[in-house]
Amino acid sequence: MKFKTFFAQRLLAWALTILIGVTFIFFIPRMFPSDPVENMISQMETRSGNMDPEVKDALRQQLRIQFGLDGTMLEQYAYYLTHGLLRFDFGPSLMSYPEPVTTIIGRNLPYTLGLSLTTTLMAWCLGNFIGLLAGFRKNKRSSKILEGIAICIYPIPYFLIALILQIVFAFVLGWFPIQTTLLTRGTFAMWLGSLIKASILPAISMLLLGTGWWIISMKSLASTTSEEDFVMYARYRGISEAKIGASYVFRNSILTQITALAMSLGGVFGGSIMTEIIFNYPGVGTLIQGAILQSDYNMILGCITISIVAISTATLIVDLVYPFIDPRIRYG
Amino acid sequence: MKKFWKAANFRLKFGLIVTFIFLIIGFVVYYFPHIDPFLNNTYANKLPASAEHWLGTTSMGQDVVWLLIESIHNSLTIGLIVATIGTVVGVFVGLLAGFAGGALDRILMIVTDTFVVIPSLPILIMMTSLMKGSSTTIIMALVLGMFAWAWPSRQIRSMALSIKERDFIHTAKFSGENTIQIVVTEILPFALTWSLSNFMNATLSAIGSESSLAVLGLSPANLVSLGNMIQWARQYNAIFNKQWLWIGAPVVATVILFIGLFMLITGYNDYLSMKRGR
Amino acid sequence: MKKKIIAALLAAAMFVGVLGGCGSSSAKTESSAPEESASEEAKAEGNAASGMMTAVATPRDETLIVETQSPTDTPGQYNTYMSGTSTGFGIHQLMSIHLWEMDTVKGDQIPELAADWGTPNEDFTEWTVKLREGIKWSDGEDVNADDVVFTFNMIKSNDKIGASASTNLYLESVEKVDDYTVKFTMKESFPRFTQRFGITVWGTDFRIVPEHIYSAVEDVTTYKDENPVVAGPYTIEDKDPNGNWILYVLREDWQQSSLGVVGVDWYGYTADQVPPKYVWFRYLGDSASRQMQMVSNEVDILCEVTMEELEAMSAMNENIHAWYDEFPFATADDPGAKSLVFSQGKGAPYDNADFRWGICLALDIDQIVMNIFQGAGRAAPIPCMNNTSYLQETYTIPMQEWLENFELDLGDGTTFKPYDTGYAKRMAEATGVTGTDEELIEMFGAGWWKHDAEAAEKLLIKAGLEKKDDGWYFNGEKFKMELSFLADTEFQAGRGVQAAYNQLMAFGLDCNLVSKSSATWDVDGGQGNYEVAGYWPSGGIMKDFYSAIQGWDSQFIKPLGETGSGQGARWNNAKVDEILHELAGTDPTSDRAYELHVEFLQEAVKDMPVINFTNGTKFVPTNSTYWEGYPNSENPYDGPWWWWSRFKYVLPNLSPVKA
Repeated sequence: MKFKTFFAQRLLAWALTILIGVTFIFFIPRMFPSDPVENMISQMETRSGNMDPEVKDALRQQLRIQFGLDGTMLEQYAYYLTHGLLRFDFGPSLMSYPEPVTTIIGRNLPYTLGLSLTTTLMAWCLGNFIGLLAGFRKNKRSSKILEGIAICIYPIPYFLIALILQIVFAFVLGWFPIQTTLLTRGTFAMWLGSLIKASILPAISMLLLGTGWWIISMKSLASTTSEEDFVMYARYRGISEAKIGASYVFRNSILTQITALAMSLGGVFGGSIMTEIIFNYPGVGTLIQGAILQSDYNMILGCITISIVAISTATLIVDLVYPFIDPRIRYG
Repeated sequence: MKKFWKAANFRLKFGLIVTFIFLIIGFVVYYFPHIDPFLNNTYANKLPASAEHWLGTTSMGQDVVWLLIESIHNSLTIGLIVATIGTVVGVFVGLLAGFAGGALDRILMIVTDTFVVIPSLPILIMMTSLMKGSSTTIIMALVLGMFAWAWPSRQIRSMALSIKERDFIHTAKFSGENTIQIVVTEILPFALTWSLSNFMNATLSAIGSESSLAVLGLSPANLVSLGNMIQWARQYNAIFNKQWLWIGAPVVATVILFIGLFMLITGYNDYLSMKRGR
Repeated sequence: MKKKIIAALLAAAMFVGVLGGCGSSSAKTESSAPEESASEEAKAEGNAASGMMTAVATPRDETLIVETQSPTDTPGQYNTYMSGTSTGFGIHQLMSIHLWEMDTVKGDQIPELAADWGTPNEDFTEWTVKLREGIKWSDGEDVNADDVVFTFNMIKSNDKIGASASTNLYLESVEKVDDYTVKFTMKESFPRFTQRFGITVWGTDFRIVPEHIYSAVEDVTTYKDENPVVAGPYTIEDKDPNGNWILYVLREDWQQSSLGVVGVDWYGYTADQVPPKYVWFRYLGDSASRQMQMVSNEVDILCEVTMEELEAMSAMNENIHAWYDEFPFATADDPGAKSLVFSQGKGAPYDNADFRWGICLALDIDQIVMNIFQGAGRAAPIPCMNNTSYLQETYTIPMQEWLENFELDLGDGTTFKPYDTGYAKRMAEATGVTGTDEELIEMFGAGWWKHDAEAAEKLLIKAGLEKKDDGWYFNGEKFKMELSFLADTEFQAGRGVQAAYNQLMAFGLDCNLVSKSSATWDVDGGQGNYEVAGYWPSGGIMKDFYSAIQGWDSQFIKPLGETGSGQGARWNNAKVDEILHELAGTDPTSDRAYELHVEFLQEAVKDMPVINFTNGTKFVPTNSTYWEGYPNSENPYDGPWWWWSRFKYVLPNLSPVKA
């Protein structure tokens, strides 16, 4: 019974979070005096000569409907909620007109997910492992050096790390391709090989920064925990250090880190955008950049809506799973 | 003061010194009389480092040192405005939610959670690209500030919830102080100590976001900031033309500033927990 | 779809491997597999790139790699009559066929699908065009009059095609006379037929489509044409689903393509002139990435770089060159002189010639050009005209005397002769270039306008501005002018504006500098929603450049805030209208047409609607590590315009470098 209440409450909060988020991003572009339809007509005219006034009016009307810009602000909002949010239908992309935004995002999303989820999970595991060691044995010299390195790398902006890696490993050493080229001809193995080759540098740059943070936070958690009474008591009882580390300190610190993981996903997404742009990795980040360069508002709205839904859902899942991991928490 | 310095750990000391140096550069040295470093052709192009130009000049004949000083000034200004907005709004919302409780608390927390969860960078990219051309330092800071208040307010709320139940609050209640008085006299000092680390964190992430936007070409064209300075140097191909001082100065300054601020934050947190533990 | 899911899953597995310490080695072996397998067969040939494979698994010595400036948003879409097709992504360079091509070196057209220049009737209302015989579509069908008639009727009857309205404006009907003869009936006297329906710069909207394919398509404006049947020399081999590259392969029967037939007939190609088997058009990312790839020989031809980029790249790789081997490196003959444009629709003072001239005289061209590309570029004094080498010879130099005698009324009873012929000499000295007067004029231009702050102030005062201690005032209010430029593209224009901003600030005129994205400018430029902007409204490279200036006709001006069909600057000059109207009906080869052009340019100088800085200055680098024979100043058989449709005519001149 209690689980049901908790579940319902959490689900409601999730839905509200998404609703507020998308409402926010719906109204922002409408506060600015730019008009995607006029924009598109102008671009079409620049590209291929001038249009008849009548043709233009008809086109304008047709585009207004397609872009969900017909009617009052409220009607547009309702249209966006029913089409964009519920069906993930954001209308046609302006830059790849008339291909639907959803198709294009669907094409790029797996790359972003693959890159950011794997690096995040790995950074989390690796960082927590190192952090645990460093915190549990915090007076060892190696711990201090590790933490020192983490502290010096973590605050560096994503784009700087990516640029430096690109210049050093792709250009000077030539170990990796400078830009992403996926081999679509030939066998599946060849394609996979090109994907792996192209993914290593972006992945390393995201890993470096991600891992740093988890080392730092886990170290401070672990060092606090390892001084608590129950750990001391375990030591007196003669339980081996390794066992204390694994079953006492680790199990108690990791819970906080799980919540923190959920909270960090938004930031990871931002970092993945910057990394993708530097390496021209075919994910949502490069899509957002292209969409912005060409004022493709449907595409921007689509990308951000989907990222809000994805990140809130990930948070929700962590929240729901959390009580199963932490025996101290009971629903309610 | 002396006692504080003695009790401070290495990271806190290091962070304090670095931050202090940057504040001096950004807010004292900056006001020494000098030629507007943004103007082109003030000096000869591409001069190497010399007594007159410690870091040489750019391909547009700007003095790198003064350009850097102005960048640090503007980046810090943006960071500090954002952090102030974030902290003030965050403390206010957090305390309000924590003390009011009930429906107001829930509503505020859902809004707060939204802003914690939604990815800020794409929204920042969208807003700055819409504003392109009309944006200024202040507008930039306001936009960044929109995402700076959520995390502090969440923290402050949980802090408020925990101290609400403590003895001295009950004592104050018994002695007839009203809620506002209690909040102002008893809780605010606590909250401020807490939010100091948030404040520094917000400064850091605001400067970081601004430079990310600048590298995407979305920062105002005439805003001399660390990010824009990196971007301009990149546009004039300073990396491959080996104009290391020009591209290196803002990169190194950003990295040092970030490490300094970050050490300040973690050092300060350790310091606080150590004090509390005592 | 399956691939994508596996992509996400396997990426995860891979990263575990990397961290485990064994991943990097396993990844290496996997990705290098195609390279090794292919290296054996090609080793014998003895080319510099023998044995190497490209990232798209083609032999490097058979693949020419060309940069494209932006990724395509419509991968797999090759029908140029569907909106959004990235025509410049190799599509019109390698696959399209046109009636007339442009020969950029001679400044004149060449007949491509057309066999002649078309035969007009007496009053230019009917044109009969003969077509070449022997060109075949890539599926073996003949290219003939049916295709031409179908294409023009398709454009006329589909109002969703951009060129439809303007075609209907002039073209009454098209009919087939015989298999290789087409008759065009015009609605009015139309002397510039080949210019309108053929290519003069970059490309044209009139690309002939295969009638036997397109006539079966229900709606040609939504037909992607994923496996195009083409008359050009290349077809599609592969593409990136994300739009970053397209790989083209040479048709086996390329000798029956436009390039094969026209090449032999017009340029006299010999049997050993075979174009590269593959041409790989790819997008290379940001400035740092494209330089790194060029230096690492991962690309042979870049689109356009800045002077700084070229210097850095040639310092790192001696095989990288631009048009010239030494200063100024760039070719200065790109159409599109970069200028300051005034939005005259904004009213006073922008619609006042005295104001515009005042701004012009407040500028120091020497410093502007130094700031743009360190002095490289040919100054363009006359507004609305590109000062290409050919047009400078044709117009600027013959007009020199008129320009030198041209006087401005400063409004205080004095006059001022603004023209300055000392520019080329001064720049030669500043950049250390020596040469005869003619050479210097060819390199730096015949002249520009004087930098004279005093005259500038007088003109601004005449235009109604007021100078006070704290700056300039207009209508009692502090005057602040907004200068805008396009962010991150066209550095020549952007840097010109930034330099002008600095000089105007130094002059005492308060300005604001803003950068706009291309998307914003597309709207603002047409609607007149700017004050002064860095742009390139001048056009044309032929002696008769009526088609490039007809947009200045005031009948196209729309109210501020609406996008008109002509100029966004809203320059309204009755004399210009008169000249343009007469020019429209004048035979372009006649003397009268030339006189009218000169009259137009004189009006433009008097009014100064745009201040041209330098002519289009393009650094287009080539890499001769694996391919050689690119056009350059030593061997100027063609212009370095890889993005123009005529790029196909460069290809047979290229050959792999021998080891």
